Amino acid sequence: MLYDVRLTLTYDYDAPVHGGRHHIRVAPSTMPGVQRVVASSLSFSPTPHRVTSFVDFFGNTVSDVTFVDPHEKLDIRLTARVQVEDRRGQADLSASLEKLGLEISRFWSVEPDSPQHFLAASPRVQIVPAITDYVQTVTTKAETIFGMAMALCLAIHRDFEYDPKATDVETKPAEAFTLKKGVCQDFAHVMIAGLRGLGIPAGYVSGFLRTNPPAGKARLDGADAMHAWVRVWCGTHMGWIEFDPTNAMVAGGDHIAIGHGRDYADISPIVGVLRTHGSHETRQSVDVVRIE
Amino acid sequence: MTKRTSEPRSAPRPSPSIISDYHLLPGVPDEMIDAAGKLRPGWDRLMGAFDSLGSAELAARFERADQYLRDAGVFYRKYDGAAGKERAWPLAHIPLLIDETEWRTLSRGLIQRVELLERIVADIYSDNRLVQEGLLPPELIAQNSEFLRPLVGVQPTNGQFLHFCAFELGRGPDGGWWVLGDRTQAPSGAGFALENRVATTRALSDVYGEMNIHRLAGFFRDFRDHLFAQSRPDGGRVGILTPGQLNETYFEHAYIARYLGLMLLEGEDLVVEAGRVMVRTVSGLKPVSVLWRRMDASFVDPLELRYDSRIGTPGMVEAVRSGSISMINALGTGILETRALSAFMPRLSKHLTGAGLELPEIATWWCGQAAEREYVLDNFDALMIGPAFATTLPFDDLRGTALGGSMTSTQKAQLKDRIATHGRHYVGQEPVRLSTAPVYQEGKLEPRPITLRVFAARTQEGWGLMPGGFARVGSTPDTTALAMQRGGQAADVWVVSSKPVEQVSLLPQEGDKLVRNSAGSLPSRAADNLIWLGRYAERCEATVRILRAYNARLAELSKPDLPILTHCAEFLKSIDVDASEAMPHGLLLSINSAVHSAGQIRDRFSPDGWLALNDLQKTAQRFATRIQTGDDATRAMTVLLRKLAGFSGLVHENMYRFAGWRFLEIGRRLERAIQISRIAGWLTGEDAPDGSLEMLLEIGDSVMSHRRRYSVTAGTQSAIDLLVLDPLNPRSVLFQLTELRTQLEALPGGIRDGQLSTVAKTALQLQTALIIAEPQAVTPEELERIAGEIGLLASLVAGHYFT
Repeated sequence: MLYDVRLTLTYDYDAPVHGGRHHIRVAPSTMPGVQRVVASSLSFSPTPHRVTSFVDFFGNTVSDVTFVDPHEKLDIRLTARVQVEDRRGQADLSASLEKLGLEISRFWSVEPDSPQHFLAASPRVQIVPAITDYVQTVTTKAETIFGMAMALCLAIHRDFEYDPKATDVETKPAEAFTLKKGVCQDFAHVMIAGLRGLGIPAGYVSGFLRTNPPAGKARLDGADAMHAWVRVWCGTHMGWIEFDPTNAMVAGGDHIAIGHGRDYADISPIVGVLRTHGSHETRQSVDVVRIE
Repeated sequence: MTKRTSEPRSAPRPSPSIISDYHLLPGVPDEMIDAAGKLRPGWDRLMGAFDSLGSAELAARFERADQYLRDAGVFYRKYDGAAGKERAWPLAHIPLLIDETEWRTLSRGLIQRVELLERIVADIYSDNRLVQEGLLPPELIAQNSEFLRPLVGVQPTNGQFLHFCAFELGRGPDGGWWVLGDRTQAPSGAGFALENRVATTRALSDVYGEMNIHRLAGFFRDFRDHLFAQSRPDGGRVGILTPGQLNETYFEHAYIARYLGLMLLEGEDLVVEAGRVMVRTVSGLKPVSVLWRRMDASFVDPLELRYDSRIGTPGMVEAVRSGSISMINALGTGILETRALSAFMPRLSKHLTGAGLELPEIATWWCGQAAEREYVLDNFDALMIGPAFATTLPFDDLRGTALGGSMTSTQKAQLKDRIATHGRHYVGQEPVRLSTAPVYQEGKLEPRPITLRVFAARTQEGWGLMPGGFARVGSTPDTTALAMQRGGQAADVWVVSSKPVEQVSLLPQEGDKLVRNSAGSLPSRAADNLIWLGRYAERCEATVRILRAYNARLAELSKPDLPILTHCAEFLKSIDVDASEAMPHGLLLSINSAVHSAGQIRDRFSPDGWLALNDLQKTAQRFATRIQTGDDATRAMTVLLRKLAGFSGLVHENMYRFAGWRFLEIGRRLERAIQISRIAGWLTGEDAPDGSLEMLLEIGDSVMSHRRRYSVTAGTQSAIDLLVLDPLNPRSVLFQLTELRTQLEALPGGIRDGQLSTVAKTALQLQTALIIAEPQAVTPEELERIAGEIGLLASLVAGHYFT
């Protein structure tokens, strides 16, 4: 499946910003077996003093952007064409929880894709006993890791309300869990916290959803903004599988990934240090069109 | 030149009487007395000297050491619940003596260890063979918050991760030394070791001189040479990166910076431009190429490490990646402090060096492994149980680590349960017993447990050990290592040689190239603080002078509603000072602000000046609780005025005329010009009551000059002439502007190609206007305007030099 992605992120500052430096992670990366970036272009307004880029530990492309002149607004524009592999409908060949533990203990690697990085608490995901208990309850019938992850996906979709006003970008998984409300970021964090609580490696994926659904299907939640979902390590055989708790589905066709990390902190679209006294407002517009 | 100070050790002397009632603790070795009950090498000399001094003289000498520490302003910050307070350094007066032969064994073991640590950390941040080969569990890295992912694959520019490390050691019941912990992140204590040495030798200079004790200066000299050797051929400064004055060991950072001649830098002083670290100085951005990091790595860059760090420099990791900066130690080396790593050190040593560890370490069982977990659960009561990923030393870890047997049965059950399910988070460690050394308490020697902190640094010839260090001395006779959690004292460590030792000094040697540092390296932040220190000190003085004039009249007339008093009180109110308070809160705030500004630039400041300022603060605080308005306050203000003059005198008579002094002077002149303009305007206005002019002359300290130059009765014009326009009166506004112009021209960039800087031009304009002004034209409105203009000049200076 071939997609054209267009993203505009706009930051309006209350007071003029006297220079700043940002790490921006919005451009999709090529991931073997998942997606291939055919073309990608990122532009900024005003024109930065300096732009460089590098690839971070988890393989994400980072633009390092420096501004020197005062400005009151920042526009980040991305256009990309991405070929996405259809990964839906895979047979469940994942391990049982018990076997998974054994496989992890034999996984002598700290390479970026090693499940070892995705088991402990990370900057934005704490292990919360209440969430672990919830996950245990909703996954009792599942026998495999894949089955457990899918069951959890469905449960979150059933028990949580999609409500952009209920939470913000700083909301902790425990709060979102108590509220049973939030957006994709919250659902992904809750799911990650719960899986790790049971000893299942889970990470955070940031990306986009196709905007208009195929004929006869409903538009997906979160399609008009940047999206987030979860990747779960289902054992040595199946490896990493992506699940979207916001839409209760396996991600593997309509999802275009920017990149991934342990949680939001590893792949947030913009990390910045500004010289300013005011606050700012953010707007984003996303358009994802299937070409073929 | 080596001085021959003593003959070889002579025949045994009779046992000194001071040790006759020193009673050893059972089951642990003692540093002074060996198993056979004899004094160990060196101690016989020391105790003999104590005997001949007698207890009165000894007490006086120990007091001399304490006095030195107080005078030098040595302190540390302790965080116990509320805001950290500065504490006096708790010196245990008797040094710990270690024989050179034993020291050599210790050195060999520690150098083996630090080289092993270097290889481990190099592997962790490159290809991770140790994990692949099953020698290091991946969890200990991948789930470790000290594993800094942005540094993976980054080779340090000099190829080395570790340059300066510390080790905590204890002597076990078998008599041998054990490693209790490694400090690889940003080890502290070397500066305190130096201060301990100075203080201890103050008390015992004659004994120290007669014994052959290894000197510490050579160690610092060699490490400084190593630091400068790391700087790039195209230049670049060498600095110490400090978290700032709220850090518990800030004193030490400032002290070492001064001692070694390094810049003391905070994250805010630095900026990364095109991958290069630069320091903001008053002459613009200057490159930095070596940073001796005293800040935990995760705080150095808010862009790539901790996003919430407010003390870092955005882009620092990029600079490291691009190889333009040497970090001492490399970012990420903190992972070596992970407690669970101890469990793997013996095996890693065999694997990487082919040999076992020469110095053993506390036996450690990591509960992430099945067999080890079983062992810990089976021997729970007899082990210290603590967090596996902790980087604190077990005896610094008040909350996290405890002896299994000391827990309640509920705690035990809960913890055992956690270990069974979440084993990888826990370690069990052998509870260490420590040796004892004597402390002097109430005229007697008492044995107390000790641990030893030793420092290792790279030099041009490989690793070297500081021949000394500092010993922590327990506060009770309990010799379990955990008892050290309860704090105690610190003692100097003397390495005793049987032969004369090399006398080293950090002063340049004959033949060294003379290096002159240019004045332009003053960091902008330091300059900013110097200006504010000057301004606050001057503001205090102005306020004190007005308060004294006010209270003197109040005492004399005892009618607070007299026009002159209410008029004066109204002025004080405009500067947030309440005249009805004998020691107004507003004045205390100014004094505190002066101390705060001075505290941020301790490295540029003489200890005497610092003590004078602290003394001023303490006196003012004491007055605040005791004095009454009127006569009492008049006298108190006179005392404060004298103390302020003492501070100014110390600073201005002793500070080298570098850019730093100029900024202090600029601050002082700016503030005085503003204060005099304002009070002169206030007291010469149409509504100014009788007695205003006399009061103005008194506040401006110009009563005598006025009497000499004009008539006995003050007129508005003569007062204005003397306090505003007189070029020779050091209190006049014109005098301040003349001084300001001189200093601004002398600053970096003050005159370029014969052209004055914008700032110097503005000062010249203001000065010229006053030179040509006639007294009658200097109205209260005009004075208010002048004060405003000088305020703008202050902002101009800040804008020009500090951004």
